[in-house]
Amino acid sequence: MLEVLFIGLSLGSILLLVALGLAITYGAMGVINMAHGEMVMVGAYVTVLSGIYLGANVFIAIPLAFIVTALLGLLIERVVVRRLYGRLLDTLLATWGIAILIQQAVRLEFGLSFFGIHIAGLGPGLQNVSVPEILQGTLSIGAAEINRYRAFIIIVTAILAVLTWLIIYRTSIGMQVRAIIRNPKMAAACGIDVTRVNALTFAFGSGLAGVAGVMMSGFKTVFPDMGTSMVVDGFLVVVMGGVGSLLGSVLSAGILGEINGLVAAATNDILARAVVFGVVIAIIVLKPKGLFALKGR
Amino acid sequence: MLSKQKIDWAIYAAFVILIMLAPLAMDTFWLNRVAKYLVYGMLGTAVALSWGYAGILNLGQGLFFGAGAYMLAMSLKLASTTSLQQGSDKPVPDFMLWNAEPGAPTELCCITKASFLWLPFQSQWFGVAMGLILPVLLATVLGTIVFRKRIAGVFVSIITLALVLLVRLVVIDSQPVTNGFNGLTDLGWFNVFGLEFDPYVTATYYLVAVSLSLVLVGVRLLVETRAGIVLQAVRDDQNRARYLGFDVPAYQTFFFAVSAAIAGVAGMLYVIVSEFASPTFMDLSFSITMVVWAAVGGRSSVLGACIGAILINVISATVSETEGFAEAWKAIIGLIFVLVVLYLPRGLAGLAHDFVDRFVARKSSPSGQTIGVTGASSQAAE
Repeated sequence: MLEVLFIGLSLGSILLLVALGLAITYGAMGVINMAHGEMVMVGAYVTVLSGIYLGANVFIAIPLAFIVTALLGLLIERVVVRRLYGRLLDTLLATWGIAILIQQAVRLEFGLSFFGIHIAGLGPGLQNVSVPEILQGTLSIGAAEINRYRAFIIIVTAILAVLTWLIIYRTSIGMQVRAIIRNPKMAAACGIDVTRVNALTFAFGSGLAGVAGVMMSGFKTVFPDMGTSMVVDGFLVVVMGGVGSLLGSVLSAGILGEINGLVAAATNDILARAVVFGVVIAIIVLKPKGLFALKGR
Repeated sequence: MLSKQKIDWAIYAAFVILIMLAPLAMDTFWLNRVAKYLVYGMLGTAVALSWGYAGILNLGQGLFFGAGAYMLAMSLKLASTTSLQQGSDKPVPDFMLWNAEPGAPTELCCITKASFLWLPFQSQWFGVAMGLILPVLLATVLGTIVFRKRIAGVFVSIITLALVLLVRLVVIDSQPVTNGFNGLTDLGWFNVFGLEFDPYVTATYYLVAVSLSLVLVGVRLLVETRAGIVLQAVRDDQNRARYLGFDVPAYQTFFFAVSAAIAGVAGMLYVIVSEFASPTFMDLSFSITMVVWAAVGGRSSVLGACIGAILINVISATVSETEGFAEAWKAIIGLIFVLVVLYLPRGLAGLAHDFVDRFVARKSSPSGQTIGVTGASSQAAE
């Protein structure tokens, strides 16, 4: 039983890992970033490439992936998202286009494959990342055998969640972000540089996705389409938790992860995912604002 | 104003004539392909109706498409002689034999746990009826719940999206009844009183083309009725419509269901043309792709969305024949999509409308015909 709960916690932490970035971009900026999953994918590829070319392991890949995806996020914000503030559904559509572009960029090795140039680690195929020895195998806590890598994911997720919370609630830029969540126009009137803060927020959210990608690469195969299903899960977590509520996302990720783990243990993985979707639909129908909605807006 | 409407209808007529004449210029292979694209066009229309006119961005249109497709596919599966003659004396779909428990009776009623559900589908017309009834029923139930609770905008999108993925998983999981991941293949031909619709003959193409024409004209007439105009009022300002005394959820649910019915019909036609039904119909990417077609063609234009879908697919089919270009084309589609959202939110139809406006050139007449898309999307964004 303890093991099942642990699996649930681990699934929840993976959900949260993806959802954290979304909670920020969607909650703070009102942007539905469908390319978020592709940021995760890019993060995973950063791990693959840094392993091949730099001989780096997962630990080194984390900051690298954060920087790469944050810069990519900054670029996307500058070029596309910035023009779409206030048009929520349009951001969804435009970022879906961006998601396809990023996927194809990886698949076609940035177009180089046309010229017969191939970059090891990119392309349409599957990639695997080897995990450092310290994270392999299991760890026994009491009677339960616990997978070390899963434990590592939980710890990293917890650190990121706390870090995000600190940034949002304990720094001045975080206060500006919260002001923008409540009322962007009023925030601007109070002298907050909304454009700049939005750009930084988007970059930070993307960077978090990149870190999520590094963590994913350790236990999932890496391929260009890997992000698509994640972004959906991430959204369900954010919407269920309540838009703009970090705590809500944390809790709903935990709840959905445990439901997934428990149902999967009783039946199978496919049904477990179906049940998770069912729960989310029920909650959105019953409480459209999410479990922990912010007042305002 | 009047002449503008005339031009509009002239464009519809031109389109219908064009698709009716198309078989003259194509071999059977392309005929079959284009028939598929016309089905996609019908999907584009369904999306435009719910998105452009009702303001409901349904990211789960694939659910209705899939429902229609599976219902007819079940009937056609039971009409397929090759599928039914696989190593048994009683006619049972082949995959049920593979999935049956050892020693189970080879009868459709009880070979697997839920196979009795297939019994009524032995009649093809039951499949056709269900292909229409099931999507409408799903949409009505869903719409009643969602719109009565006054859920709007992105939340509707998320609910529909989660629902289509949920159903997809259930279909995949019910392997003994639905053949899971593999879907239903090796189907028989659709048969109307002895006339068999072989997917590679002109008759099948015309079945699709005529259906599409009827749907286009029907939808166009529908949005011009009083109900259609109330619906657009609801889209532009839900609360105002409510305070004016209109039963907002009823209008929304009705048009949501009509859109679902069209998607269901499209699903059935697709099965006839392509001879399979599979859970990929309910993939997230397929449902979003439909929205892409509608957005490129013009989200608030019935014909525009349809043409957008056909155009994108014809171009991508042509382009994909050049080796190695298929993947690059996908990237171009992504790029086009970003550009359309940024610079052409009304799609190709928006361009056409502007052109017609200039053509009609009446400086004082208000352009009542062009639909305020920016108004609609900002409304939806709230």
